[in-house]
Parts: sequence; C-alpha cells; structure tokens
Amino acid sequence: MKNRIIMFWAIVAIFIASLSIIFHKDKPDDPIIKLGLDLVGGSRLELQAQKTETISTITPDMMDSLTFAIKKRVNAIGVAETHVQRIGQDRLLVEIPNITDLNQAKKMIGDTAELEFKKNIAPKGQKEKWVSTGLTGKDITVARVDTDQTGHWSVGLEFNANGTKKFADLTRAMVGEQMAIFFNGELQSAPVIQQPILEGRAQITGGGDGFSAQEAKEMVDLLNAGALPVPASIIQENTVGPTLGSDSIQKSEVAGLIGLGLVMLFMLCYYRVPGIIADVALCIYAVILFALFKTIGVTLTLAGIAGFILSVGMAVDANILIFERTKEELRAGRTLYTAITAGFDRAFTSIFDSNMTTIITCAILYWKGTDIVKGFALTLALGVIVSMFSAITVTKNFMLLIFGTKTLTKPWIFGLRQDEIGTAYQATESKKENAKFGVLD
Amino acid sequence: MKLELNIVKYRVLCLCISALLIIPCFGAMIYSSIVSPTHTPVKVSIDYTGGTILQYGVNEDVSVDQLGKLRTKLAKDGITSAEIQIINVNSDKNSAIKSLISIRTKFIENGSDTDAKITKVVQSEFKDAQVDQVSSVGPTLGKELFANSLLAVALALLGIICYLSFRFQFDYALAAILGLVHDVIFVCGTFSILGLVCGIEVDALFVTAVLTVIGFSVHDTIVVFDRVRENLRYYSKKMSFSEIINFSVNQTLARSINTSVTTLITLFALYLFGGVTTKNFVLAMILGIAIGTYSSIFFCTVLVDIWNEKKYAGLSSNK
Repeated sequence: MKNRIIMFWAIVAIFIASLSIIFHKDKPDDPIIKLGLDLVGGSRLELQAQKTETISTITPDMMDSLTFAIKKRVNAIGVAETHVQRIGQDRLLVEIPNITDLNQAKKMIGDTAELEFKKNIAPKGQKEKWVSTGLTGKDITVARVDTDQTGHWSVGLEFNANGTKKFADLTRAMVGEQMAIFFNGELQSAPVIQQPILEGRAQITGGGDGFSAQEAKEMVDLLNAGALPVPASIIQENTVGPTLGSDSIQKSEVAGLIGLGLVMLFMLCYYRVPGIIADVALCIYAVILFALFKTIGVTLTLAGIAGFILSVGMAVDANILIFERTKEELRAGRTLYTAITAGFDRAFTSIFDSNMTTIITCAILYWKGTDIVKGFALTLALGVIVSMFSAITVTKNFMLLIFGTKTLTKPWIFGLRQDEIGTAYQATESKKENAKFGVLD
Repeated sequence: MKLELNIVKYRVLCLCISALLIIPCFGAMIYSSIVSPTHTPVKVSIDYTGGTILQYGVNEDVSVDQLGKLRTKLAKDGITSAEIQIINVNSDKNSAIKSLISIRTKFIENGSDTDAKITKVVQSEFKDAQVDQVSSVGPTLGKELFANSLLAVALALLGIICYLSFRFQFDYALAAILGLVHDVIFVCGTFSILGLVCGIEVDALFVTAVLTVIGFSVHDTIVVFDRVRENLRYYSKKMSFSEIINFSVNQTLARSINTSVTTLITLFALYLFGGVTTKNFVLAMILGIAIGTYSSIFFCTVLVDIWNEKKYAGLSSNK
C-alpha cells in the first residue's frame, strides 16, 4: 500500500513537471509546441546540387559552402526562423515560414549569382565576342545599392585587394575599350573605360532603362551572399498559405477534441468507474506526451497530429484490454484484487507484443520514410511508449488505490451484473475456491 | 447481451466474404494498371509522378461554367495538360477560403514563368484568388519517393514477420501477414475504385495511412493470437484446437470491437470536422481499421484453424 502511495505521488510529480514544461515559455509569444509549416503556413523547398561540365562530383565541402551561401541568401530576404539543412548526399532542405513573396524567395535561392567581367575580342565593326577577364564576383568584398549620375538605381561594388589590383591592371590596359559585366550569364552593362580605375570601385548600371529598386536590391543581396559553389535546382516544393494552414490547425484541433471527448464518454459509459480512471490516465498521458514532444523538439505537422491521434487510440486500447480482462476475471469469480492484478498481468503480453510491432514499424518508417512519414512515425512511436507507461503504471496504480483490498459489492461500477459474477469459473478452473484466487489447474 | 460467434463452423463463409471483398479490389487495381495513364494500380499524385500543383483559395463557390471558362483560358495560354479540380473547404460564411481551385501541371522548373502565367489567368477569372498551396515534385524525385515507399512497406512487413515468428510461431506470423495483406489490398483496391470513379489520388500521406493500417491490423490479430496461445497452454487437453480458436475469438470480441469503435470515433471526428488536406488520409485509415478488425476476427483465425486442423486432429481423437 505504501509503495502505491509513493507511486501515486510520483505520478502527480511527473504530471506537474510535464505541465510546467508545456507552459514554460522563453518568450511570451512562444507557441506551446512548435508547429510545422503545413499548419502555420510557409514554404518547404528541397534543392539538389547539380553536376556540371566542370563539377563531376559533389563533395561534402561543396555542400557545406552551398548550405552557407543559401543560408546567407535566405536571411537576406529577411524572414525569421528560416531553416537550412543538408539531407542526403547532394540535397538541401530549406524551410521558410510566413513567406510573403514566394517567387522572390525561389529566385533568390536558385540563382547561381555569378558575376563576371568580360572583354570584347571581336574585331571592330563585328558583333561583340565576350571573353572572361578572370575578374569575378569572388573578388568583391561588398556590394551596395547606389544611384548613378543620372539618378537611376545602380549597384556599387568594392573589390578586395586582389580584385583592386586586377581591376586596375585591366582598366589600364583597356582604356577606350568596352568592359562588359555579366550577371548569371546575362549582359548587364558594357561601359567604355575612360581612364584607369585604381581605387577598386566599380558600378553596374542596368543599361537601357536602368534597374528598378527591387532588381538592384536583389542583385546586391545575391552578390553579398556570394555565388553558389555549385548550381542547385529546386526539386521539391511545398508551400501552404497562412490562411489554409490556420484553417487546417483549427479544424484538426476541433476534430481532435470532439473525437477525444466522444472516446472518453464511451469509456465512461461502457466501463463506468474504471472508465473514469482510464479518462484521467488519458489526460495524464496527453500531458506527458506533449511535454516529451516539447523536450525533444518535435515539430508537429499534420501527419504528426495523425500519429498522435492514432497513439491515443492505442493508449485507449491498452485500457480496454485490461478492463475487459479484469471483467472476465471477475466473471470467473475472483476477488477484486486478484481480478485487477490478473487483468493487468494477462493483458500485458498482448499490449507488449502489439505495441512492439507498432514500434518496429515506426522505426523502419523513421529510417526509410520521407519527411512527412518521419514526423508521423516519431509521434506515433513516442505515443506508444508513453501509452505503455500510462496504461501499466497510471491506470494500475489508480485502480489499486481505489479498489485495493475491498470486495466488489456493487458490480455495476464495473459495468457488470450481479448474476454474471462467478458464472464463468467452470470454464477456467475445476474448483471454485481455486478460481477465487486465480489458481490454475 | 452476450454475442457468441461460431467462426469455425462458418469458416468457409468467412473466407467467401473475404474473397468477395478482395476480388473486386484486385479487379479494380488490375483495370487501373491497364487503363490509367501512369499504369499504376491506384491513381497516384505528383508525389510519385512528379509535377506541380497550384492551389488557389477563393471566397466563392465555383460553378462548373467558371471551371470550363478557366480551362479554355488556360488552354489559350498554352497550358493544355492541366488538370483542374475544385475542393470545397468550408461552408462557413465568415471563412476567408470557401473553395480551392487545384491546378495540376507538369513539373514547373525554377525560373520558368508558367506558374506566374497560371496565376494571372486564374486571377482574371477570380479576382480574390490567392495562391494557398504549391506542391512541386521533380520527376526523378517522384520515382525515388515511390521506390522508397515500397521499400519501407516491404521492410516493415519483414520486421513484423520476424518479430511474430520469434514471439509466436511461423504459421501465426504468416496468418497475421496474410491478414494484413488482405487489409492493404482492400484499402488500396477501394482507393483504386475511388480513383477511377471520383479521381481521388494517392499521395505520400496515403503510404503513412497504409502503414498505420498494417500496424493496427497486426495489433488486433496479435491480441487474438495471444489469447489463443494462452488458452492452448491451459485447455489443450480439454478442448479441440477449433474450439480453442472459437473460444479465444469470443473472449477477445468485446475488446476488438471496443478498440475499433473508439479509434473509429476519433477518425470519424477527424473526417467530418477536420481539415480538407487530411480527408483522404483519414478515409484510408477508417477503411483500414474497419477491415483490420474484420480480418483479425474472421480471416486470420480461420487460416490458423485450417492449417492446424490436421496437426491437432490426432491429439483430440486419442483422448
């Protein structure tokens, strides 16, 4: 009995600790649990590094610098909490919440941002033929939005020491000639060099009509973030608008609560007092599970919610198994205490085996599955593990504390009729006395 | 009040019902494999074929006329292979989104202006249309996802067989696996029919649903087999194997039904009140859990009974 009381307080302590984890906030507007982009709205892009003629293999180093460049670029768009992560050998996962202009973001991410200075080697009068001068975006320290003499938007560049020297040499040699600036293989402008430029500064004007403010800013952001070491293309995209996201979460919440309420009502009606205990255990289960989600840092997605709901189903199932067994033992004429402990002991193998198969399945899914499937497998596996604790420890403890060594005088609290009690013993044991204490032949 | 099933007596009937459920599903899957453009047993979404889906939220009910107009307008702009669908989201008047217009096209490469073009056309027809969801999967990635999903399912099956062979016996494991194959075929077949009739597609979430069904089906079967195992230990001298099977099924019947009922309650709540994005996912689980309960009571046990009949026939006649 003493052990049971200690256990009871241990459960209360775990429950309170879990509650405090759930409601603990570092910042006042932190959500209770991190929600996936499919619920809050946002964009999930998967990039794959592309091999080119010059790059035959994608090395981990390349991927590191690609990750770095993409991170800098996404940060330049100015959205908070973006997430860039390497997956597999040659892929990157970019997650951008609350995106406002998706096309801009995609452009920013996919652009190789290669800046090149070229000179014309075609003879006069013929169509220009541009060749590289060896001066590229790598020689730039900083780019900024500027205006030219006519008041149009332009992009100002500052070279590093090496670049300054190269640029000075080039301009000295090319006075009176055109120097073209290519960005992503597109000719931006090709001014004629009037005099050598020694101070390491250059300006890109948009040619023709000049840049728009937006274009100039984009180019500056890209140049500052640096060129991508390998071209990368978007191979998968998933964007959910904030309205649709909030619609999903609101509805899932309502549906989840209705479902949970109905299940609790069912348990109460069918199993009576044990049903109430199961309902309390279910609440404790949900609180512990959410605290665990928060501690581990699980991001809840739609698939994750599905996993959670399923694990609730399995948690309820464990209770149903135990109560059905307990009722059976009561029908066989056992004392209340024997029936409860036998109910737990005998239901345990079923619960254990069935939950083990679920965990095995989840492990394989987590290992092999796609992102969506992974989220599902993780919440389900955690749910099943916690449900074993809640069914075996919490329900059992409460049952024994409440019924303990008492005798069953009112069978209706278990949803049984008086005349059912003790009628099934002959099927199990030959002697009624044996049946009472669960002694088997 | 007490329901007594005699599944052993009616085992031929049980197998016939299973056959009746499974054969049309097989038929639909084969038919779909031949007829559908992707040659798959079920209608697969862009997750597996590659492609782009643009979904626009509009604050009005979209009529068939408007849809036809949109289609011609898109075709005029050179977007001909697009599939256009309407998804009703919300009948609530205050909701910002009433329906979603879903446009499925070939994979739109980054840097192409096709998506901007489509948006323009849609907005010319529906002024308040906003892009609410974009999913895009590259063609090679689609194949990879498909192969990975199949691999995951195969590995999960293997894991379950190993565990059950270890905890029970191989013939029980085999019966459980056949049971879940039975359930998976039923769910896939039903979706195959739904794909042929209403154009419902199977996406990456569907695989999750199928795997859940696998887990649940085995879960259910194990509870019954666990009881058979326990009863065999105590009653093998008193009862024939068939009687033990029958007895065990009836002992676990209340639990099997109650568990299904509680799970189905939550799933129905999700189906009726939940978000539009998870509807098909939940439907697959509802079908799977219902059939999973059926198969664990009427299919797996019958199989074990038939296989063990001869083995135990000698024992009971000696008594």
